[in-house]
Amino acid sequence: MERNITLIALFAALIAVLGLVPKFTLMSGIPITAQSLGVMLCGTVLGARRGMLAVLLFLLLVALGLPLLAGGRGGLGVFAGPTVGFLVGWVVGAYVIGRLTAKLTSLPLGVAAAVAAVIGGIVLLYIPGIIGMTIMLDMTLQTAFLSILAFIPGDLIKAGLAGAITASLARARPGIVATRPAG
Amino acid sequence: MLALVSPIDTPYHRLPAGLKFGLLSLATVVLFLLGTVWAQSAALLVVFALYLVVGMDFLRQGVASLRPLWPFLLLVGLWHFLLGDPAEGAVVCLRLLSAVALANLVTMTTRLDDAVDLLMWLLAPLRRLGVQTGLIAFSIALVIRFVPVMMDNARRLLESWRARSHRRPGWQVIAPIFLVALDDATRVAEAIRARADLSTYNADE
Amino acid sequence: MRQGEPEAVCLSGIGLSLAGRKIFSGLELSLSERRIGIVGRNGSGKSTLARVMTGLLAPDSGEVRVMGVDVAKDRRAAIRTIGILFQNPDHQIIFPTVGEELAFGLRQQGRSKVEAREAVRAMLARFGKQAWEERSVETLSQGQKHLVCLMAVLVLEPALIVLDEPFTGLDIPTTRALQRHLAELAPILVHITHDISALDGYERAIWIEAGKVAQDGPAEVVLAQYLDAMTREDADAGAGLAD
Repeated sequence: MERNITLIALFAALIAVLGLVPKFTLMSGIPITAQSLGVMLCGTVLGARRGMLAVLLFLLLVALGLPLLAGGRGGLGVFAGPTVGFLVGWVVGAYVIGRLTAKLTSLPLGVAAAVAAVIGGIVLLYIPGIIGMTIMLDMTLQTAFLSILAFIPGDLIKAGLAGAITASLARARPGIVATRPAG
Repeated sequence: MLALVSPIDTPYHRLPAGLKFGLLSLATVVLFLLGTVWAQSAALLVVFALYLVVGMDFLRQGVASLRPLWPFLLLVGLWHFLLGDPAEGAVVCLRLLSAVALANLVTMTTRLDDAVDLLMWLLAPLRRLGVQTGLIAFSIALVIRFVPVMMDNARRLLESWRARSHRRPGWQVIAPIFLVALDDATRVAEAIRARADLSTYNADE
Repeated sequence: MRQGEPEAVCLSGIGLSLAGRKIFSGLELSLSERRIGIVGRNGSGKSTLARVMTGLLAPDSGEVRVMGVDVAKDRRAAIRTIGILFQNPDHQIIFPTVGEELAFGLRQQGRSKVEAREAVRAMLARFGKQAWEERSVETLSQGQKHLVCLMAVLVLEPALIVLDEPFTGLDIPTTRALQRHLAELAPILVHITHDISALDGYERAIWIEAGKVAQDGPAEVVLAQYLDAMTREDADAGAGLAD
């Protein structure tokens, strides 16, 4: 119990930290920093349920008025803004990433985590994200999709990194990665 | 940790958080119902006035917090202009500005503990379903405690990178940030176990 | 202070505020000795001084030159000139294996993989740790991790190394072993600490108080004064914990 709560709070804090540190050499651009990589890692490391709860807890703190989103954004405003769908997508994404990483046992952990991150952290993230944009911005699905196409290469790189980092965490602390308890 | 609450004291600070949240929800629904440029312009003017009555500094803060919206405004404006329907584009842009500015207004004038109290009140019905809402409050406190500590650790690792490289830190720093945090978590979990039994945790006690 | 030697470190007119708090204003310091200790209580600004001296933190005003290099502006040259060893190895080791950790700085300087590997092997051999090259950092003890950090700094062959309380939390034998390694090093050492015994045999000591130089001179003299002041405060029970 104590361990679960601590890990969930810890990963919620880590999502925040990855948004607050200066950008890494990944990609530049407004909504893209290592923060979404943190969301992917919630799923791959903590597993579906705890990973999703960590993301929910993080979003709750943002809604309460803490500037924890990349670039120091936060508050209720981001939930009234055009990117709200992506925040919903993070919750769904973390859950699915956790499930898939645990399911794909025939693959090495790093590869399984990367594949899960592509499906959960890109495909399933973008569906609510794009729907959110069509509602908030009154656009068609196609336009919304086209306008975010530019972010997909960066997200693919991040999915790859999520795989590599998950594998290296499992190597450094055997047993910590819940999606692959055997190590 | 710095919250987004404005240091400028406003009359809105003294309104109950629940009332502000209720009014915000209502106003957001109304904004989505207003379909004409005139109605949306009037709405934005009202929001503008809500900021302005406090003072110019407060207004400037409000405008600054809208800055992340401009790429989207540009996108929508351009898209509707190309479609030959600039009026529709104006409605969307105005509505977006009003909705986000209003939500920001609530955040800027509601202290964190008031917001947490409101959240607990909203979550109270879940208690009947067996959800330990006290644990949610406890987790929120934990995260607020963790973030600055982990920021510090992350900064040290980034310094260690910069002490040996003139390039921007690479993704390789992320794994050790997580490792240090995971080790801290083990210690924190032990400290909590030493002082509290979370299986019966209740924030009201 | 000895005359006639070139200045290794020269801080002139350093002003710095962090999060609205003034840390330094008009700080002047010039160092030319080979072994220099910097002492001061918690929060005196000595750790910040370490970051300013190595160019990790750019001052708001003034200039830091180490061996003539402006370390805040010319990061490329700074990294070749000055190294820093921090308190906690877990907060500085980035890579999973010892070999990668040691090679990192070299590769960033543009050395080839082969060159870097050779330099890493030579460094490991110097400390009799040839077997560590492929070793996972996680399998090392805390003291061994400290040694890895020291080697990762030394492999870049800096002319000067800043030590920011490197022995905190280490047991006595490990501290002694690391101290022995440090004593034999060629580079100039600027050792920031509140442990006076770590500064045995040092030439000069500087006592920092609230971002200012409180005392500066031969190590034995300054350290004796510092120790005296700290023990006197100690008699005033709980001074270190007062508001």
